[in-house]
Amino acid sequence: MAAAAAAEAEAAGAAPDYEAAELYTRAFRVGALGRCWMQHLGPPDLSLAAEAAADEDAAIVAELGCEVEMVPELQEVCSIDMLMSSDKEEDPDVIPEDNSLLTLRIRKEALERREETIIVDRACRQETLAYEMESHASGKRPDSPTDLVEEGELLLTLNIFYPVIFQKHKDYKPYQTVLVLGSQKLTELRDSISCVSDFQIGGEFSCQPDQAPEHVSKDLYKSAFFYFEGIFYNDKRYPECRDLSRTVIEWSESHDRGYVNLQSDDMEDYTFNDLSLKIGFPYLFCHQGDCEHIIIITDIRLIHYDDCLDRNLYPLLIKKHWLCTRKCFVCKMYTARWVTNNDSLAPEDPCFFCDVCFQMLHYDLEGNKLGEFLAYPYVDPGIFN
Amino acid sequence: MRGKAAQARWGGGVWRRGGRMSSVPGLQVDCEELLGAFQEADTVRFERFAELWRERRFHTIFYGRIRALERNKLTKKTLEVAQQYFLPPYAFQIRVGALYLLYGLYSTQLCQPKQKIRIALKDWPEIHKFQQDLINSQHYDAAYIFRALRLARAFHFTAMPKLLNYRTKKKIQENEFKEEFKEPSNRVNSLITNDVLEELMNIHDHYQKMKCVISADKSQPDKALSLIKDDFVATLKDITLEHQEWQQNRMKLFLNAKETDEMLNKKEQGNLLESEGSERANALARIKYKSYSAVVEASKSRRHRQVKLESSESGSNYGKSPSRSKKASRRPQLARKRDSLGIKGEMQVAKETVTQHIGMPVITEENSDEEEVSLPKRKRRC
Ligand SMILES: [Zn+2]
Ligand SMILES: [Zn+2]
Repeated sequence: MAAAAAAEAEAAGAAPDYEAAELYTRAFRVGALGRCWMQHLGPPDLSLAAEAAADEDAAIVAELGCEVEMVPELQEVCSIDMLMSSDKEEDPDVIPEDNSLLTLRIRKEALERREETIIVDRACRQETLAYEMESHASGKRPDSPTDLVEEGELLLTLNIFYPVIFQKHKDYKPYQTVLVLGSQKLTELRDSISCVSDFQIGGEFSCQPDQAPEHVSKDLYKSAFFYFEGIFYNDKRYPECRDLSRTVIEWSESHDRGYVNLQSDDMEDYTFNDLSLKIGFPYLFCHQGDCEHIIIITDIRLIHYDDCLDRNLYPLLIKKHWLCTRKCFVCKMYTARWVTNNDSLAPEDPCFFCDVCFQMLHYDLEGNKLGEFLAYPYVDPGIFN
Repeated sequence: MRGKAAQARWGGGVWRRGGRMSSVPGLQVDCEELLGAFQEADTVRFERFAELWRERRFHTIFYGRIRALERNKLTKKTLEVAQQYFLPPYAFQIRVGALYLLYGLYSTQLCQPKQKIRIALKDWPEIHKFQQDLINSQHYDAAYIFRALRLARAFHFTAMPKLLNYRTKKKIQENEFKEEFKEPSNRVNSLITNDVLEELMNIHDHYQKMKCVISADKSQPDKALSLIKDDFVATLKDITLEHQEWQQNRMKLFLNAKETDEMLNKKEQGNLLESEGSERANALARIKYKSYSAVVEASKSRRHRQVKLESSESGSNYGKSPSRSKKASRRPQLARKRDSLGIKGEMQVAKETVTQHIGMPVITEENSDEEEVSLPKRKRRC
């Protein structure tokens, strides 16, 4: 339905536009956007080749319709040197004293105030890392030319939010930002999403802490789906995958929830170019049965020369929320590996312990359980930092 | 490029106070002041723009100790602010100024690799038309610069102008367009076109003839039938032109412009209206007139040389920029609002009692991030 509308829009040559101003767009076929841009633009705009097309006088004359003698003059008059008043050496770190720009006066004041109240900031280190993450792959080229991203490829920016189950009552959610290519399959994104719940070890093990299973949830529960524009895209690659969406669809149909025509399809059969999407609209990724991630496509654009052009590096993580690492309550040093509830020995509920402290506090030398408590293996979200 | 990260020591939230949601404090004022001066110069020549830019040392707009990540953000936002003047409803001359501004900002930015200028698909036809207008009216410098930006791969060709985050709108950011920069909308002109005048003329002729037919003296209508002035079409045309003149003068006054010879020129502009047909042609004529008015008529092939002449004349003004400080102070300072940037409490662990043996521990946690995004509340239904 939405797909049909999008196909119509494509036929009409319509560009994506807002459905809700400044908030999200109407649904449109992702691949159509790329085709539209390709129609409008020429080789120099799309080129990913290392050498920018040599700017010949003849080309200038042909495109602008001016006379040949004008070209050198144009080049001179329009040169960027015309904007530089470079009589003296300047340090871009220093805001000149005699500036007349309001922007600089405000900035100078802000920087000075900041300098007065110097705090050695943790933010500095984190920001350097964040910058590193944002830019580490930019301009990268693959070793093999077959892995080179093609001209006209689309680049989607996705914000993937951390599971809602952690912050039921919060309005604000941390997220990670991932870049995917239009020609990539949904399964490629699915495989790249790392989530704590994939590493969760289910079960209560206070009586046999040594028995905590080696298998993490990811290996046990492989089912997952994306939900975009009325369609559930299920991961059906493994025989043990279940159609997680079926329950939702059946529930929706049986209760007449106002969602008509919910469909389901196979995740591996679709690339992002095949989808109909609204930019800025919240969609869903669900795995582990109930671990839900909101996904928002914040941007779609043509690939650019300065982007990472190595296909293999996509989906490319460019930003993630800095998760706090939970330390052991006792030693305050090591990352927590256990969490307890109803713990008669602990001052808090829940309480977190590293392996060593957990064992020492809760068991005697023979390994007998001391006191009353429930113990669960704990996987710290900070392991993704 | 990595080295830059280490060099740049400051940043991180410093810029977050004041102004509009996504703006760099003061930037809008600075851009509008520069574009305003360009408008007053009444030209579309890059040479003149470059002078105005140099007088203000506008390239220093990126200066200051800023960490790399912040520098990227800042530059993105700077380009975004400048880009808005590049599109309608802004007048042709302002859009040319915006093109030069984008060229300057893009080229002098300190990011490596450079931050790009975003162009949304829906805005492309307008931009393409603009480029065609530049070429057709032989504004070679502007056309050359747009072309240069494309060759420098300065653009990101996008689906939408901005990234969309499903942010709950704190306040719908009304697009307050700067009135002075807009093409004066002229409803009268669009209503009374030459076609309409011609049609009126025909009807009037017909009317006169009909009156003659029923009159005693067949060569002239009876006095009793004289209910309308004979020359009303001509009068209507004069009134229309007068109105246009008045509107433009008022605009000039609004802008504090002082050129007195403008009045004379306006007549010429009015004449253009007569010679051209459609409304679109009128608009183009106005545009062309405006951009040429600073240049004395010259032969097509010599136009660019003429331009040089003009700017060397105006070069005598160099460094004075008389109305500038006054203008800057006339504009209200941006409201300043301080954002609290602290990292809110670490994780909070809420107390809850476990009532039964379940597979998972009871943990609630809260996180906060400097860039928080609100999501719609989940509706719980069963
Ligand atoms: Zn998850
Ligand atoms: Zn410990």
